[in-house]
Amino acid sequence: MRFKKLFQVLVLGGAVVGASSGCVPAANAQGKDKKPPPADAGTSSAGGGVKGW
Amino acid sequence: MTSARRVAAEAWGFRARVEEEAALRFDGLAATIAGFDGASPVPALMRRAAEDERRHAGLCAGLAESLGAPVRLGDGKWIRVAPEGLDARSAILYEVVAACCITETESMSVLTTLLEEEHAPGIREVLHAIARDEVVHSRMGWAHLAREAEAAEVGFLSHLIPVMLTGTVDDALFGPPPADEDGEGLLRLGVLPHRQKRESFVGTLEQVVFPGLERFGVDPAPARAWLAARTSAT
Repeated sequence: MRFKKLFQVLVLGGAVVGASSGCVPAANAQGKDKKPPPADAGTSSAGGGVKGW
Repeated sequence: MTSARRVAAEAWGFRARVEEEAALRFDGLAATIAGFDGASPVPALMRRAAEDERRHAGLCAGLAESLGAPVRLGDGKWIRVAPEGLDARSAILYEVVAACCITETESMSVLTTLLEEEHAPGIREVLHAIARDEVVHSRMGWAHLAREAEAAEVGFLSHLIPVMLTGTVDDALFGPPPADEDGEGLLRLGVLPHRQKRESFVGTLEQVVFPGLERFGVDPAPARAWLAARTSAT
C-alpha cells in the first residue's frame, strides 16, 4: 500500500508536473552533439550512482 | 556512547554530506536543463531544491553533532556520475534519473517508513521537514524523464540503470545484518535497521522505480536482473 501510494505521488505526480508546461524541444535540436558541461570533480568513465539515505 | 547512538551519529553525518552534494548537483542540473528546455518547470524546481538541500544538510549536521559526531560542511562537490560517451543531453538525463528517480525516490521511501516510528526528541521534526521537500525532489526527476521521453529515445538508459544502482547502494545491504545491531535504538534515532532498510530499498525498486521507468519507455529488465542476482544470493 505504501509503495503504491509512493508510485502515485512521485511517479504519476512527477509526470503531471512535467506535462504542465510547454512542448519539449526535440533532442536533436540542441545539446545532442555537445559535450557534457564540466562538473566540479571529474567523471566516472563507466558511470555511477548517487548515494542517498 | 551506545552502539545505536554511534551508528546514528555516523548516519546523520553521512546524510548531511549527501544533502550538501545534492544541492550542488541540482544547481548545476538546473542551469543545464534550462539551456535546452526553456519551457520546462524542472529548472525552477531544482533551484528551489538546491536551497532545500542546503537547509537539510544543516539539519542533518545538527543531529549528527547532537549525537556526538560533528560533521564539517562546505567542501562538497558535484561529482558527475554519467558515463563518458554520452552526449550532453543524455548525460544530464542520466544524472537526473540517478539522482532523482532512483535516489530521491528511495530516500522518500526511507523517510515514509521512519515517520511511522516513535522517535527521540528532535528527530521527528527533522524527518518531517525533510520529507515535505523530498516529495518534490523525486517528482522533478520523473517530470524530466517524462519530458525527455516525449522528445527523444530514452531506452538507452535501460542497460545503464544497473550501473546507477551499483553506485547507489553498498553490497553490504544484501548481506547479513551487523551482529550487534540495536534496531529499536536506531529507529528511535531516525535510522532504519539493516533488514528494514533492505526491505525499503527492494520494495521501492520493484514497486515504484521499475514501474516508473517502464512507464516512460525505459525497459527495467536489466535492473530487475541486477536486483535478482543480489536478493537470490542471500
